[in-house]
Amino acid sequence: MVLIVGVIVLIAVNIIVLSVNSRRYTSFGLERVAISFISPFQELVTRSIRFTKDIWFQYFALVTIAKENRTLRTLLNHASEKSNLWRETDMANARLRNLLDFQKNIAELVVAAEVIGKDPSAWFKTVIIDKGKADGLIKGLPVVMPQGIAGQVIEVANHYSKVMLIIDRNSAVDALVQRTRARGVLKGKSTDQCRLDYVLRKKDVRVGDIVVSSGLDGIYPKGLRIGLVSEVVDHDADIFHDVILTPFVDFEKLEEVLVVLDIQKHEFVSRK
Amino acid sequence: MSYFFNISACLFLVILQTTVMSYLPLLNDFYDLLIPFIVYLGLSRPVRESLPFVFFLGFIMDNLSGSPFGLYLTAYFWLFVAVKGITQLLQVANRLFVITLIVAAGVLIENLIFLGTLTVLGPDQQLAGDATKAITIQVLWAIWTGPVFLVVFRKIQKRLDAASNAVYARKGKLS
Repeated sequence: MVLIVGVIVLIAVNIIVLSVNSRRYTSFGLERVAISFISPFQELVTRSIRFTKDIWFQYFALVTIAKENRTLRTLLNHASEKSNLWRETDMANARLRNLLDFQKNIAELVVAAEVIGKDPSAWFKTVIIDKGKADGLIKGLPVVMPQGIAGQVIEVANHYSKVMLIIDRNSAVDALVQRTRARGVLKGKSTDQCRLDYVLRKKDVRVGDIVVSSGLDGIYPKGLRIGLVSEVVDHDADIFHDVILTPFVDFEKLEEVLVVLDIQKHEFVSRK
Repeated sequence: MSYFFNISACLFLVILQTTVMSYLPLLNDFYDLLIPFIVYLGLSRPVRESLPFVFFLGFIMDNLSGSPFGLYLTAYFWLFVAVKGITQLLQVANRLFVITLIVAAGVLIENLIFLGTLTVLGPDQQLAGDATKAITIQVLWAIWTGPVFLVVFRKIQKRLDAASNAVYARKGKLS
């Protein structure tokens, strides 16, 4: 009898604790210990796999390289012609870049990190990266790729961090449809696609539209590319569009990412 | 010696699952590799020895995953309790068919706990469809490979025990 009551009480306590924890991502501070304990091993294994993979692919590359060489020589002649034209365009591009001072800003604000581990569960989408507090990372920083937004830092240890990807169910990004400026909230589905919620029916959204970050969530800088609208479904009784989005970032092949450092903090430090 | 084996196995399985597996697209929908280990602890090891590892694994996995804290702890703990309960009621520890069923049921239990939590986080109509497919694949993988893991764990444990007994016996003779 006592055993049954004990089990029932244990189940009840368990469910209460889980429901409280499930409402939002809770951090107890002990995560750093676990991440710091496991991540060096993950790093070692990941690097070994990549090293072996590189050697393997380089072998095949050598076999095909002779054949490619002949083809490439022919192509090179055509390319030289075009290259002159592109050089001109390149110089114009460099002048415009200088004007915007874009490259300088980006170089100062991002930290490149390598993905060393993935989420053990199929239901959640997070990764472990090899940069942490020691590299200036803090919780909440946006993580991007040249193709678009990847996620945000949710846990930081000394040399490692946990990043929640935008395809995770717990992720939400305030976003805009670039063409019509229709606003919505981008939510993950734990698949390779996302949902753009709360886009009003009166706003024009079409398949192929590009979706960018609005900057209103206070995490992601404004105007970063997120993905392409791949499906728009309108239900009669609904006041919102049902928008499905395919992110630009291929999360299956995520190997390197850029963490955008806190802009305000960075400026403050450099001024000091 | 068994503590050494348990720690090594835990570490090996966690690393395998979070790094190597992601490079193998065929195993995208593979089940949680720690389930056979928890089942092994439940079937073959005493509670006093196993429970710290059940909690340790739950803690590590909770921190490496983006899941709400406590989800893996809950899944592993109740799985361990269930396996211990079954083995005390029925003498099934050595029947391959029953072991296969236990591992498959373990995968099912873990996924149901996860799905329950995801439903609390926010109901999703598409989730049911995705989940059915993913769970079916995981259970089939578990039926196919689960007993292999258990047999391997037992064999290694036996060899380590034999090796340590031999070392102690040699020490005893020398003294």
